[in-house]
Amino acid sequence: MTVDTTTEPAVEPEPGGTEAARRRRNIAATLGLDRFSGVYVWAALILIFSLWVPSLFDTATNARIIAGSQAITAIVAMGLIVPVACGAFDLSIGGTVGVAVCVVIWFQANGHGFVLGIIVALLAGLAVGLLNSFIVVKLNVNSFIATLGMSSILSAGTYWITNGSTISNGVSPHFTAIGQNLLWGLPLPVFYMVAVGIVLWWLLEYTPVGRYLYSIGGNPQAAKLAGIRVGRITTGAFVLSGVVAAFAGIILAAELGSASPDIGVPYLLPAFSAVFLGATQVFPGRVNVPGTLIAIFLLATGVKGLQLAGAPSYITSLFDGAALIIAVALAARATRRRT
Amino acid sequence: MTPALTVTNMSKSFAGPRVLDSVTLSIEPGEIRALVGENGSGKSTLIKILAGFHVPDEGSAEVAGQSLHLGDGTASEALGLRFVHQDLGLVDTLDAVDNMALGAGYPSFRGGIRWRQERKRARGLLTELGYDFDVRRPVGTLAMSERTALAVARAMAPRDTPAKVLILDEPTANLPAAEAQRLYQLARRVADSGIAVVFVSHHFDEVFELAKSVTVLRDGKQVITRPVAGLTEDQLIELVIGRKLEQVEHDAKAAERKAVVLEVSGLGSEVLYDVDFAVHAGEIVGVAGITGSGRDEVAAALFGGRDRVGEAKINGAVLPKNRPDKAMAMGMGLVPAERHANAAFMTSTLRENITVVRPGIHWRGLILRKGAERTDVDRWLERLDVRPRKSEFTMSDLSGGNQQKVVLARWLRLEPKVLVLDEPTQGVDVGAKSDIHKLVDEAAAQGTAVLVASTDHEELVRLCHRVLILRRGRIADEVSGGRMDHDLITAATIGRDQADATIGGDQPDAT
Repeated sequence: MTVDTTTEPAVEPEPGGTEAARRRRNIAATLGLDRFSGVYVWAALILIFSLWVPSLFDTATNARIIAGSQAITAIVAMGLIVPVACGAFDLSIGGTVGVAVCVVIWFQANGHGFVLGIIVALLAGLAVGLLNSFIVVKLNVNSFIATLGMSSILSAGTYWITNGSTISNGVSPHFTAIGQNLLWGLPLPVFYMVAVGIVLWWLLEYTPVGRYLYSIGGNPQAAKLAGIRVGRITTGAFVLSGVVAAFAGIILAAELGSASPDIGVPYLLPAFSAVFLGATQVFPGRVNVPGTLIAIFLLATGVKGLQLAGAPSYITSLFDGAALIIAVALAARATRRRT
Repeated sequence: MTPALTVTNMSKSFAGPRVLDSVTLSIEPGEIRALVGENGSGKSTLIKILAGFHVPDEGSAEVAGQSLHLGDGTASEALGLRFVHQDLGLVDTLDAVDNMALGAGYPSFRGGIRWRQERKRARGLLTELGYDFDVRRPVGTLAMSERTALAVARAMAPRDTPAKVLILDEPTANLPAAEAQRLYQLARRVADSGIAVVFVSHHFDEVFELAKSVTVLRDGKQVITRPVAGLTEDQLIELVIGRKLEQVEHDAKAAERKAVVLEVSGLGSEVLYDVDFAVHAGEIVGVAGITGSGRDEVAAALFGGRDRVGEAKINGAVLPKNRPDKAMAMGMGLVPAERHANAAFMTSTLRENITVVRPGIHWRGLILRKGAERTDVDRWLERLDVRPRKSEFTMSDLSGGNQQKVVLARWLRLEPKVLVLDEPTQGVDVGAKSDIHKLVDEAAAQGTAVLVASTDHEELVRLCHRVLILRRGRIADEVSGGRMDHDLITAATIGRDQADATIGGDQPDAT
């Protein structure tokens, strides 16, 4: 009566996977080399630079500088994870950071107070997200193209707001305190970064919405036929990355106490590098929050160490660009191993 | 006569057990040989070795007496082996001419491609196989049988060396019965010209209809090679799965009419026009039809994956169109056709694949409880006998049959009021197919209204209380009771109004 399914099912063996390779992979897995390789590389970098330039690198001040300077990049990158998880690019985040900086400073320079400035800046981020998602979801434009165009439009917006010059008059000291004060010896933005990280990590890992985002990224057609509202979730993802980028812009404005056009653009590339490098970490094959944070600080430590060792200032661009390419290549490899 | 193809002591293992174990074969020119076995029995591995994708651990092969250099795709091509792989290897956005040139190049190229000459050649090759369609249309817009014909035409196109062996990997997997007939003719035509044909198949009626001889593989070993004559279908099934298949007497599956659950009226889509039907609680209703009949549109149109007109109600409540989320919320589940494109999240875990519909069940105290989720999923993996039974394995680690079970588990978990299945056992091995059929029976026994669209008419006979026959977008006939027979369904789908009269001697039951 019962169907005896003694036939062993076909787990198609991985081509080329030998017994020895499997054992090596097991050892690597125990040490966390596959999932936390970034942490090992980071530790190695710290060790190398501590030996190379001990007087400059190996100081608490330096650690604080790295943490503080990277907090904003980290916030932008974590916001970016959300659209990337559902398979969409958001190249407008750098532009959104810039617009938020200009808006929040412009309001103070024109005597409207920083609270209103913060609110309007956040609304601007939300509007950018809505506009991006309208173009991508309703007009069916590829997200790469849509947000590339948006990025240029936002850049124009920053020139329009600032008249092409730096604004720094009328900035409230209460406002700059948000970005410059210390708590337990660490700049406040580090704590904002941790807070944003916790919220987004929770969203992606511990809510149904997170599951929907990754499902859409994995197979949008299957997601739709599993009853997921692909358009609505994608809209939410763009709105979230827009608002998070605007938040990062507000913190940046508080740190600098001034606004100048195109201030946000340099944040785009490192954010992408970190998100894709992060996809090789912790949960290999998918973009994730802890992986992105590891990647941010790995990259920042490398750049800072090289600078202190006397490397020229263009090392940052060189490092970020190379990291992006290497990261995407590694992420593609990690995904292949899972398919 | 020198055999067209001999394989001697071929063995291969990847990690661990041998997936191919000392297989020895010999096929004569003009012979049609069926290669059958469950998923993972080694059929694909054998074909991939012959095609040069894999290098065998040991063994050798000869094509028409010439030794084949293994592990080299160009060598098998040069000796006259021709392949049509299961996915056909066509590029949907290119037209027939460009697809023919993939791999082989444009023969007319002399400083420029002579398009008119290329089109003429493509048309000629297709005409030889009995097909005639616009070679300038993107391949994605062609019917499945036309695409298959194109892949065969490409494989058989004249090269530097004449073709000796044509190897077809599940050529009819996506073809409805009537179109499969055309492919049989095509295979026979190729064989009559002295070329050996090897075809892999899960459809046993195809083996009996087409093949002269059959080789059965199980767990990488050759179980038997014998002439088809004198073999019964039951014997063949036993040889393939190594056990007796549960017999289900289905001829007159009793239809105890309960309340109507799904009520469809005036359903229309691209091809469908004014289709009315109802499915009762506990009833399994089939949908049959050839390509172009609208059979493949019914499931998606109801669930919301495809635009439609007309009304569908579940327990009296109107189902909005184009809203899969609403359909799901109202108690409908869909196992769509073409698992890879429409249902599976290949890089996600089995757990995520199952709980992707309503993960919120395990969302308590603002946290998605993964422990509870795992327990839930493990229960379903066990119930559906998914192997390996590991909720954290990636979907791509599983065989096709097991992946399909995972997709089915996704919906059974919600205990839907209406379960819509579109080609539920496409590319699934015999054992898993039988398991899936049993699960569908169980769901119906618990009161689910089930709608099954399938090109596998034996499957419809096995599962359904009655089968709706679609022709040109309309319901043309309904088969039930004593008329439930797969030949009769096939006949009805190709449009003979007195279908029963064409089946010799069978008297139709006046139900």
